[in-house]
Amino acid sequence: MSDRRLVLEIRGLTRRFGGLTAVDRFDVDVKEGEIVSLVGPNGAGKTTVFNLISGVLKPTSGSVRMLRTELVGQPAHRITRLGVARTFQNIRVFAQLTVRENILLGTHHWTHSGMLGSATFWPATVRAERAAQAEVDTAIELFRERLQPRLDDPAFALSYANRRRTEIARALAARPKLLLLDEPAAGMNPYERIEIAGLIRAMRDRGLTIFLIEHHMPLVMEISDRVVVMDHGVKIAEGLPKEVHSNPRVVEAYLGRRAASA
Amino acid sequence: MSGQPAVFDGEPGHALKRFWESGPSGWNRTLTRPVVLVPFFVGAAIVPLILQYLEDNSSWIGAQYWTLILATCAMYACLAVALNLVVGYAGLLNLGFIAFFGIGSYAYALVASDQIHLHFPLWAALLVVIVVTLAFALLVGVPALRLRGDYLAIVTLAFGLIMTNLILDLDRPPVLAGHQFGPDGLNITNGTNGLHNVAPFSLPTSLPLLGDIPHYRMYYWVFLGFLALSIFCMLRWRNTRTGRAWVAIREDELAARAMGVNIFKYRLLAFCTSAVMAGIVGMIDAALVFNAYPENFAVQQTVQVFVMAILGGLGSLPGAIIGSIAFTIPPYVLQQFVFYKYLIISVVLIAVMVFRPEGLLGTVSLRPRKALGGTIELLTAESAEEVAEMPAVSGADAAEIEAVTGEIVTPEQKA
Repeated sequence: MSDRRLVLEIRGLTRRFGGLTAVDRFDVDVKEGEIVSLVGPNGAGKTTVFNLISGVLKPTSGSVRMLRTELVGQPAHRITRLGVARTFQNIRVFAQLTVRENILLGTHHWTHSGMLGSATFWPATVRAERAAQAEVDTAIELFRERLQPRLDDPAFALSYANRRRTEIARALAARPKLLLLDEPAAGMNPYERIEIAGLIRAMRDRGLTIFLIEHHMPLVMEISDRVVVMDHGVKIAEGLPKEVHSNPRVVEAYLGRRAASA
Repeated sequence: MSGQPAVFDGEPGHALKRFWESGPSGWNRTLTRPVVLVPFFVGAAIVPLILQYLEDNSSWIGAQYWTLILATCAMYACLAVALNLVVGYAGLLNLGFIAFFGIGSYAYALVASDQIHLHFPLWAALLVVIVVTLAFALLVGVPALRLRGDYLAIVTLAFGLIMTNLILDLDRPPVLAGHQFGPDGLNITNGTNGLHNVAPFSLPTSLPLLGDIPHYRMYYWVFLGFLALSIFCMLRWRNTRTGRAWVAIREDELAARAMGVNIFKYRLLAFCTSAVMAGIVGMIDAALVFNAYPENFAVQQTVQVFVMAILGGLGSLPGAIIGSIAFTIPPYVLQQFVFYKYLIISVVLIAVMVFRPEGLLGTVSLRPRKALGGTIELLTAESAEEVAEMPAVSGADAAEIEAVTGEIVTPEQKA
């Protein structure tokens, strides 16, 4: 385990919104081929961490390194090119595009085809377009029976779970090294959740490194190699799922909050 | 809503029914097939020949007149298609769109008239028009495209108004802070009079088989050719990487960025391409009417092209053609109602906005987005429902998961 190279290395990551410190000196390491879960109560700053990694937000201070390349200060589209793909908590598929086109968007950063090329059927453009189309087939491999029949339907016509699948397939088509999944099982029924667990493992077995935010504890316990717990922007625990589960600070962060708000 | 492509097989009655039921996206798909577009353009091209035949073989006179109207119609169709690129595909509310049409017409008029004594051949003039419109598009686009929604609309509207004044005032040397630029007699744009005696393109005046080709008919064909070329390019772009990136930015900027799309680059690309298309249309127009007028920059023109594109449906190319036909032909047919023209247009437009906000063939609508405090953004027809539905789904699901698994589920935070 220890000889694996680091994919993601976060050091002292801090983000303030006015007087609120959403993420406070957050450190984490994610090694190649790991599934690391980021958990914590609502408002703990988990999604902010994802937004900071993917370049949607700029950190106040700290560093995010992806395979030794500094990501802080790079625009979001370049971070994708460096091998980070993500999904969103409140699914963001392109509603008017078909499922196929949504997934093709994933290939955007590694295919090259311009306006002149596409208008003139330039051979290089035609090849790039064909490669992108072929990637759709690879990207939906893990949920072929679900998405194959819907490939030419517009994304707004999809069920909630299929939108999630489309979003994940789109991220896979970007051929990432690190996949950030923001609550992949949110809003899923128990059966779909089991499917998602299998899916995450299958993606890891294909060589992906996965960093995910998840609220559903049994799922987290089942699939994670390591769990990182956040509360009020601060990392309060890190370790194997079992260790974290019995950590008194974690129990307090969850149950204390619930008792207070009940 | 069915996303199935409307394929014509089986009984014709069924095919029509299926076409009707395929919804706006299906209509667009069917109407943009070569099997529909090629006959349409061939048919459109022979209409003036039919008019000529009618004039020759009956007492009716008006082939010239109606060919000019058709040319105007084709011109507006070209503009509506170009506007569709920037507003319909890329979702950028460019209210200064028509200024690029005017810039194109003046750029051509300056290099093909006696105004500054330049008479460029067609290819060189085309190059000048492209370079000049591109330069203006970059000048506005580079700073303005960093803004969004209403702000972009305000900046582009202001650009259009500034261009009108610039054209009107450049009949004398510009004076800035007491310093005069250029000699006293400098007159570039000829002010309110516009540029006259603009040379038409050096096109053949007769062709084998077709015989003599009157001026208007030739330019109708030129517009039609440019329209066909624009539509071909637009369809190709829409179905390849560039066009997908445009629509993705329109649909969800954040997600597009997360997929590696350089938002600024693609916005600028859409803005400039559309501007250059409008500029070329302006150039053809200047050659058609031998003039370039300050009215080419009028805000009413922008409104007119917007109305056509919106009525037909933003993002829909057949819609743009239908919209331009609907707003150029009837005013001439109903000459006696000419005083009520804008009244009728307004009523039709309000009716369309009430009953079909996304236009006849469109899937995108211009409606205030409530979630953003009522700012006018391009809103896809379905995303409003989605916003309403999403929190409900997660809430219900949290309860369901608790019931099924006995787990404590923290309900999702509502945005």
